[in-house]
Amino acid sequence: MNELAVHFEGVSKKYPHFLLNDINLELPAGTIMGFIGANGAGKSTTIRILMGLVHQDQGAVHVLGHRMPAQQAAAKMDIGFVSEDMRLYGSPTLAWHMEFLRAIYPQWDQPYAESLLQRFDLKPQQKIKGLSHGQRVKAALLLALAHRPRLLVLDEPTTGLDPVARQEVLGELTAILANEETTILFSSHNTLDVEQISDQITFIDRGRIIASDGKEVFLDRWRRLRLLLPPDGVLPRLPGIIEVGGSERLPVLVTDSFEPAMLSAYSDTGATVQAVDRMTLEEIFVANVHSRREVQTV
Amino acid sequence: MNFAMVSRLILKDWYLQRWTLLSALAAGVVTLGIIATGSKAAFMLGVILLVTVIIAFGAMIATSTLIEERKQQTLSFVMSLPISYREYTASKILGNLLIYLVPWLPLVLGSIALLMLSPKSQGLIPFTAIMSVEMMVGTCMVVAVALISESQGWTIGAIMVGNLALNGIGYWVAHIPSIAKGLEGSSIQWTPAASMLLLGEFAAIVLLLGFTFFCQSRKRDFL
Repeated sequence: MNELAVHFEGVSKKYPHFLLNDINLELPAGTIMGFIGANGAGKSTTIRILMGLVHQDQGAVHVLGHRMPAQQAAAKMDIGFVSEDMRLYGSPTLAWHMEFLRAIYPQWDQPYAESLLQRFDLKPQQKIKGLSHGQRVKAALLLALAHRPRLLVLDEPTTGLDPVARQEVLGELTAILANEETTILFSSHNTLDVEQISDQITFIDRGRIIASDGKEVFLDRWRRLRLLLPPDGVLPRLPGIIEVGGSERLPVLVTDSFEPAMLSAYSDTGATVQAVDRMTLEEIFVANVHSRREVQTV
Repeated sequence: MNFAMVSRLILKDWYLQRWTLLSALAAGVVTLGIIATGSKAAFMLGVILLVTVIIAFGAMIATSTLIEERKQQTLSFVMSLPISYREYTASKILGNLLIYLVPWLPLVLGSIALLMLSPKSQGLIPFTAIMSVEMMVGTCMVVAVALISESQGWTIGAIMVGNLALNGIGYWVAHIPSIAKGLEGSSIQWTPAASMLLLGEFAAIVLLLGFTFFCQSRKRDFL
């Protein structure tokens, strides 16, 4: 079994209008986990707890073997962090920031930092306040990557970027990470971004983790089935169907545990399977959220 | 406590505040020059300007190193570094004190030197020392409020309270009989009351900063 880079056990945090409830999360070392949730779902709170910046009310958090928040200084020595709401100092240059971090991290890799400067097309002598939003995100990524972290935590880093800058950042990130063994937690409400780089996916909604699995497992198991029922035909209830839509004769079903045997089961009852569609991660996320919310309200 | 990390954070704030620090120092030197011209009007104007420079500098560094860091969202960057809450708090308290001392110390010593050079004004020296340390107490209070409350509103309130308190305390100290007697004198009359006041001010600084550490260590959420 892989060593766990991040381990949340029964973590809860209560705010006046929000409850992060019983979070259990395991991130094996070397994996890239996409952490998907709507705005206000609890992604940033979870990440702040992970970074030791917010103290959980209940539960245990271990990051890279360190107990959080008590041992946060030791843990953060090996964490690279980029967040949507994180800013670098405006007046100093990028070179100053690099020098500042170089003095802090003994493992700072200057040749790698310089190669990232070229790759990101950044000028070290430029002041941070003179950079575009996209360039600032790239600068923050450079600073997070150049000390060779074992864990990279990216909290909605692509939010607010225009499509070109977003693709540039994701493209560079994918290229950089292709040969790395860094563990990554990538949080976003944009499923396309997450799908592009992740191999593990965790969905969070209303302060609860509602699903967590391999990306390919999600994409393989989730299907949308379009059926045609004969007149007076009755839709059989099969296990694994989590959503039924469409009309009485043309039902559209969503399953989270698709198997080819399902199709023959429907054919046996006289239904015609008109289409079996693969679902995007966004569709899977939305269907997952809807079905969990329905279960909660029932 | 990782003192190397605390030092790096202090040096960072030192670098970021260097122009404010140099401006305060330059403005202070100009006001000392005004005082040195010798006329009574210049003396009054110089003292008012000097007090304004020292108080404004304390308020500015506290707001820019603490409140602005939160407002500008650079606190997330700082807290992503391998530091603990205690190290952050230590760097902010020590950093603010050290940065404040850079113009405070030479300007206060300069003021006292000017009074020493003017035989008729030497009686003012104990009062000057007490009020100078009182300004430092005010700055420590602003730093404490800014750190604990994390609020711009409360910090501005603390600046106002500190400023009003300085006037009130100045009036009160000047009317303590043993001190008032020496104010007009041409020699330094260091009385037990003056010593007690100075000791009380230093104790207030220690208490304020200790209380700040205590409150910060009990905080559960940092962002």
